[in-house]
Amino acid sequence: MAQMIANAIRQAGTNFLESLAAFLPRMVMTLAIIIVGWLIAMLLRTIVRAVAGWLRINVAAERFGVAPLLKTADLPPADALLGAIVFWLVWLGFLLSGIDVLGFTSLQGLLASFWAFVPRLLLAVVILIIGFVVANFAWRATLLAAVNGRVPSPRLLSGAVRWLILILTGAMALEQIAVARTVVLTAFAIAFGALSLAVAIAFGIGGGGIAKRILEHQFPEQPRSSADEISHL
Amino acid sequence: MAQDSVLSDELLHHLMAVGHVDILVGVPTLNNAGTVRPVVRAVHQAFSRYFPRDRSLLINSDGGSDDGTPSVVRNASVDDTGTVTVSHSLRTVHRISTPYHGVPGKGNALRQIMTAAELTQARAVAVLNADVTGITPEGVAALIRPVRDQQFDYVAPVYQRHPLEGPLVTQLVRPLMRAAYGWQVRDPVAPEFGCSNRFVTHCLEQDVWDTELGRVGIDLWVTAEALAKGFRCCQTGLSPHPATPPRTPFGELFAQVVESAFVCLDLHAPYWLGRNGSEPMQLASPMPSAALEAPVVDGTRLTEAFAKDVENLRSVLEYIVSGETLTNLEALAEKLPARLRYPDALWASTVYEFLIAYRNGVMRREHIVQALAPLYLGRTGSFLRQYATSPELVVDEALENLCREFERSKPDLVRRWNRA
Repeated sequence: MAQMIANAIRQAGTNFLESLAAFLPRMVMTLAIIIVGWLIAMLLRTIVRAVAGWLRINVAAERFGVAPLLKTADLPPADALLGAIVFWLVWLGFLLSGIDVLGFTSLQGLLASFWAFVPRLLLAVVILIIGFVVANFAWRATLLAAVNGRVPSPRLLSGAVRWLILILTGAMALEQIAVARTVVLTAFAIAFGALSLAVAIAFGIGGGGIAKRILEHQFPEQPRSSADEISHL
Repeated sequence: MAQDSVLSDELLHHLMAVGHVDILVGVPTLNNAGTVRPVVRAVHQAFSRYFPRDRSLLINSDGGSDDGTPSVVRNASVDDTGTVTVSHSLRTVHRISTPYHGVPGKGNALRQIMTAAELTQARAVAVLNADVTGITPEGVAALIRPVRDQQFDYVAPVYQRHPLEGPLVTQLVRPLMRAAYGWQVRDPVAPEFGCSNRFVTHCLEQDVWDTELGRVGIDLWVTAEALAKGFRCCQTGLSPHPATPPRTPFGELFAQVVESAFVCLDLHAPYWLGRNGSEPMQLASPMPSAALEAPVVDGTRLTEAFAKDVENLRSVLEYIVSGETLTNLEALAEKLPARLRYPDALWASTVYEFLIAYRNGVMRREHIVQALAPLYLGRTGSFLRQYATSPELVVDEALENLCREFERSKPDLVRRWNRA
């Protein structure tokens, strides 16, 4: 009986040691992959930041109005953000590769899913960047046109244009990475529809006079503002 | 060869039939049937009265008018019946009306006129504005004579008008161009000028014609190019032109003029960065005497929106002007429109900072120019109201002080320009 127990323990110990012997190299390999991946990711981040600095990405971000939005969102400057995105994408890739090497059945396929997700994530980031740029451009163009055209409430108007584009862009980005797709789409459709309806009702019923004034201003019988009353040249 | 694309076969045949000429007068038109007849008449009277022995050509370059402008030009009577002494040219006076090709705009018309002038080897060239009916034979002669008789290369007109007229010139373009280029040109953006064949050849060699500057800012570029490239320049007095309603809305006109000025300054930076002060420009013929009436303009209306505009545009202005200028603008905006006084020094620094922002491209360039328009209206309204009842001499002195303020502030502009 005692012999049987001893054999069982020995067998268990042997199995454990065999498993450990089989697992340890994979563990070491995983750690090596993660460490090398971290170093490569750090290197790439430095390279990306240097290239972004050389391309004056921060100046471009300032010019297109992305920089103030990043600041408002408590995010780093554009070049650092770009470097951070590259760092995390690369390192996450290596991290998942390392985990894949461990051979856990439940984690099998995680790497493939991640790499399938990356293009969608990048596309979402691109959509967001384009959205920021377009929203800021439209905001400034609307503001200047409204101020020079003597349209009432230019800041409200231009702010509404900016936020509409940002919300639309955000919904498109979330839809791209498939985060709560149905919820996002439904929420966006309801919010957008409700907003349009509210504006239409408010403008049509409550602001009929304002609408009339704006239309009269836009299509005057004699298209002359105070600035047009004198010969400037 | 550039002539091939600018001159049509038909025009080329006409010009070859005309041969060499001594004087060429160009009149660019676009739907000017109502105003071009007196211009054509003045040109022919000038030919017969003042240059009877010269071979002369009037060329009308039309941008595709649909109101019959070319036929009005072709059929305009040239009888000199309005004068006591009837005179006739001793040489054939040629008249050609021709369409130009490409995008409608004065640049293409001027290019065609200059190409024709080069081909016919015209010694003196004058370009007139078909929008105004006030041009006289004496005015045409005044643009031609300095080139023909005194070997000047470029003649800028000086319109006799009240100093409160043309605020875009007096408040912005004149002081800016004077301080930068170092020459006291009164009307740098005039649509009329005279020039030599040498200057015509030089202009045709430049890469400006197919650009936006060539399309909408050619008047200013011609003056700036003559100054920057060392041509012999002078000014000549022209009689007052009756004011005509502007064809272009204010916003568009402002953008065209200011962008042209900024682009010219960028093009000619190597010339003007090293210049200090300004030199008076010779007046080749005296100003015609005429009584001038002050324009009836309500400056307060222009300043009414200033405070709101500064408040609304704050988030745009903070990218363009310095913190100090923005603070001063906001302090100014706090005053009642009727008490608004936009100081010369603040206006000069505002314009210079906009120029630097335009050069650096801190945002889309057309937005920078659009943001300057409300400030210009505030400055103009404040000036018009301040001097509405002042004698001409006092207004002239105030405008001279403004120009000097721009000159005083120039070292700061140069420092920022070089740092950019």
